[in-house]
Amino acid sequence: MPNNSIDIIRILETKLCGKPVQIIPGQLGIVTVKASVEGYRDIFKVLIEADEKTAISAITGIDLGANIGVFYHVRTSNPLLTIQVEVPKENTTLRTISDIAPSAALHELEVTDLLGVTFEGNPSTGHLVLPETWPDGIYPLRKDVNANEVKLNPEPPEEKSDEGKLVKIIIGPQHPALLEPEKFAVFVEGETVRKVEPRIGYVHRGIEKASESRTYIQDVYLVERICGICNSCHATGFVETVEKILKTEVPERGKYLRTIILEVNRLHSHLLTLGHAGLEIGYEVLFQYFWRDREPIMDITEMLTGNRVISSSLTVGGVRRDIKDNDIPKIRAVLGDLRKRIPFYTQVYRDEPSIRARMQNVGILKRDIALKLGVVGPVARGSGVNIDVRKDEPYEAYGEIPFKVITKDAGDTWARMNVRMDEIEESINIIEYALDNLPPGPFRVKVPRAVPSGEAVNRVEAPRGELFYYVKSNGTTMPERVKVRTPTFANIPAFLTTAIGEPLADVPPNFVSLDPCFSCTDR
Amino acid sequence: MIDYLLLIFRVLVFPGFTFIILFTMFCDWVERKIEARMQNRMGPSFTGPNGILQPFADFVKLLTKEEITPCDSKKNVFRLAPILALSVLIFAFAFLPIDGTSAIPGMSFAGDLIFVMALVSIANFLLFLAGWSSSNPYSSIGAARVLTQFLGYDIPLVMLALTPAFLAKSITISAIVSSQWLPFLILAPWAFVLFVITMQAELEKDPFDVPHAESEVVAGHETEYSGAKLAFLKLARDVQIVFGAALITVLFLGGANGPVPFGFLPEFWGTLWFVLKVLGVVIVSEYMTVLFARLRIDQVVRANWRLILPLSVLSLILTISLVYWIYPLV
Repeated sequence: MPNNSIDIIRILETKLCGKPVQIIPGQLGIVTVKASVEGYRDIFKVLIEADEKTAISAITGIDLGANIGVFYHVRTSNPLLTIQVEVPKENTTLRTISDIAPSAALHELEVTDLLGVTFEGNPSTGHLVLPETWPDGIYPLRKDVNANEVKLNPEPPEEKSDEGKLVKIIIGPQHPALLEPEKFAVFVEGETVRKVEPRIGYVHRGIEKASESRTYIQDVYLVERICGICNSCHATGFVETVEKILKTEVPERGKYLRTIILEVNRLHSHLLTLGHAGLEIGYEVLFQYFWRDREPIMDITEMLTGNRVISSSLTVGGVRRDIKDNDIPKIRAVLGDLRKRIPFYTQVYRDEPSIRARMQNVGILKRDIALKLGVVGPVARGSGVNIDVRKDEPYEAYGEIPFKVITKDAGDTWARMNVRMDEIEESINIIEYALDNLPPGPFRVKVPRAVPSGEAVNRVEAPRGELFYYVKSNGTTMPERVKVRTPTFANIPAFLTTAIGEPLADVPPNFVSLDPCFSCTDR
Repeated sequence: MIDYLLLIFRVLVFPGFTFIILFTMFCDWVERKIEARMQNRMGPSFTGPNGILQPFADFVKLLTKEEITPCDSKKNVFRLAPILALSVLIFAFAFLPIDGTSAIPGMSFAGDLIFVMALVSIANFLLFLAGWSSSNPYSSIGAARVLTQFLGYDIPLVMLALTPAFLAKSITISAIVSSQWLPFLILAPWAFVLFVITMQAELEKDPFDVPHAESEVVAGHETEYSGAKLAFLKLARDVQIVFGAALITVLFLGGANGPVPFGFLPEFWGTLWFVLKVLGVVIVSEYMTVLFARLRIDQVVRANWRLILPLSVLSLILTISLVYWIYPLV
């Protein structure tokens, strides 16, 4: 539970006394701080001094009419807090905070790309999600943009290369090591990686913008399409945010059913990654075994929701269908079978010499660097950072279900994969506990179609880590702004850091240990 | 006249070209089936009974595909490398006494073991040329890895191949085979184990298949190949794998010698034993391939210089001391 939430507010009040800031408890996260263009950098300094776990969860840019709002969503030890800054549209320049909090660099670049706020001093340049041919001066998330008037430049600007003796090896957009299109330019000296330049945006579908022209119910299904693997987590993230604005309480049974669906989702995602890691290091047997055992999990998803992959079973106010009583023994049987196989897989991942040769001491992310970069999920837990939204800020039924947060201290690829391995067992425990203690009663409540004006933030623990949602409503049936920050987006800096100085052959296992999901990253 | 016809038959049909190609495809099917069953898959099932014709179907399909030669490639080398690699390997095969004698009677000469080992290196070098001539970054890296790997592992391979030569006191393959009334596997098991591991590295199979690491270098030296050239390159690789198994059979498992001598049809029984032994080696090698993850190039190179090479030297010293001082006493 957020036990030091009061501390954060008190620290802010004492340290920022006399500065031109406005501290409002509640609203977006535990506290919302309204700051001026001059003073907002000081708040980060204060927070980072006060709490080592301070990191930027997301930066939301929002068109407020005459101004552009830049909302820094900061997570500290437990709660989330928001720092709001507004810049006029005539002069959209801010100072970067990436020198104070390095985790902010990519987030700032995205705001630059989509809303045209420039951050002085940000080391990254160029487009992040928009194509190279995108015309200057048009920012798609501003409200005054007319999609029909956007004319792409015919020729993309030429790529400059001034890397001297380094050899540029391009991994992606199409490459056997990547399942989805994304480009990483790796600069090598001999076999050693010296620099990595990411270029994401190959699967940018503008879902944030598209959700502004759909109703809330349609948006549930739209945001599920952000990621096929962790689709239920996206749906949960969105519906919980809307429920926060509506102040709707989901019935207990609905919460438990959601928890079951989320954990089944996690099981299937983790099995997928553990198998895929085998493929990356040339261990096909491992891949085939894990993916065979993933099939019954997909069958569970079908039993629960009617769909095998995109579950489409969550809705604002609860879930769309109840669990059938005669399905419960079947689900238990499948989970029992999987549980019997876990010790074998754990042994393989822990002791198999060729796995250890390829994964141990590869991509070491030390705890302090992990904190600085603000990584999330199994990547952070593999570096000994004890963060898990399910524990830190319990949602759905997680507050009532006992489970352990798995952490490993080594911080290498092997530790990250073993965190996932152990989390499979925890997930089985959670599902079985939820099935045992499934409360009776209704599983959904009816909610109005139009959502009153308001805004809310929400976090859920997706299989890949903390998934962040921000929704602003304007009283109609369609949201004003939806912001999604996916876990892979937060974890990419970890890869950019750990790949440097390592052999080229370590890039694929290191990369897959982040469990990258690019359609998530690009949205 | 009959002699000439027999010679042509021996070169083209049995135990020459046709037999080697068909046997290679059969071994390929066995490998694929084993790998599939170990991975909980069916493997080839539709082409022919139990999918036994699948390797042949794949070969024919590749022959019908469009061939693309990259503009920047060294075209002659690019075109010649696959066919030369295949030819060299089949030529080397002709020296192995599959049915008791080599493909051309009288082809075998004193010291042909060294010659065959040289042909293996040439075949590997041709695979390197295939990648190097493609002028594709992935091919170049793959080719460089082929070269790094086979330069390193050739030394222990030749050193270990000398073990049977010392045991038989001859470097002629036929003499080595005929002196194995007791397979050298039993006389020098340490050398056999090392030879099988080194051969695994020489054939670029897991855990040593870094030149084919598709998550790093796509298809390695094969990346730019397509159509018939790819078909021949793949066939050359399959022949190479079977040749490696056949070399192990000849040097350590007694070649065409059976455990029980049969008076009638010695060619038939010899071939049968040879084929069974090669299949046994192929199965063991495929088993290793499936069981391990791929090592990194630096780990592969280090394993050679720090482990395999010193052990090979020790093995050679042990063999020589056994052959000249201990076995004569027994």
